[in-house]
Amino acid sequence: MSDTAHEQARRLAEGARDRVRFEEEALNLSDQVYSVARHLSGSKEEAEDLVQETYARAFRSWRSFTPGTNLRAWLMRILTNLNIDRGRRKQRSPDTQPLEEGDYYLYNRLSDALPESNPQEDQVLRRLSQNDAVDALSAVPHDFRDVVVLVDIGDFSYQDAAQILDIPIGTVMSRLHRGRRILKKQLADSVERDGQPGDGE
Amino acid sequence: MSVLPVDDPCDKCEQMLQPYLDRELTEEERMEAELHLDGCSYCRARYRFEEKLRMFVRQAVVEQMDPQLKLKLAALRTPL
Repeated sequence: MSDTAHEQARRLAEGARDRVRFEEEALNLSDQVYSVARHLSGSKEEAEDLVQETYARAFRSWRSFTPGTNLRAWLMRILTNLNIDRGRRKQRSPDTQPLEEGDYYLYNRLSDALPESNPQEDQVLRRLSQNDAVDALSAVPHDFRDVVVLVDIGDFSYQDAAQILDIPIGTVMSRLHRGRRILKKQLADSVERDGQPGDGE
Repeated sequence: MSVLPVDDPCDKCEQMLQPYLDRELTEEERMEAELHLDGCSYCRARYRFEEKLRMFVRQAVVEQMDPQLKLKLAALRTPL
């Protein structure tokens, strides 16, 4: 074999090895990708489709991933783009709905029904059920939920979330802030719906 | 047990709650929050609640991926 042919063969083998490594690393992240996808989409089925599409696209365009950068964020960027492309969520959620409650709101609402005036956090937290959390998260409008899911469930930094969603970091912060407040409002409402109202409310 | 009027330091502390737990405060802001928290059981209970709430929500909403989906994803790999 000539030197050029050798070189070509070597590069092919190297490329194949890099690709296999890339695919394995990506597959190792699938649980985390799914857990975010599940809450960005409306149903389990949608989430499964979205994750499959994401991996199909990621495997096709693996060369555009820069080794050494954040693969999980790269996959998530594909996923959120696909999610938007699906047109499922073209409408923007209004940023302007009134929401006056502060960050201590949920604790204050839930602790109202307890006898102590400043109860332990575990006592307050026990008033919430798992279903309350699932329902409350799904009731947060999409634009806000995307950010809450990426940061609170996916454990991404503000900076990563900004890159994934292609929005400024200030927008990440304001949507996160608002999204968490909406989530807390939903949680407080669900506890009251479940029949544990605070006194006199 | 402290009975607290919602005064300025607690308002400020409330505003720092989210970036504090996200570790996105500057060093100076973080120290300011911690100084206040050291002396304020009202804010301290609410900070601890928020931290546990996040953990609770995260654990409550986790849904395991169907093992079938894992197989489907593995099948998407480029054949050798």
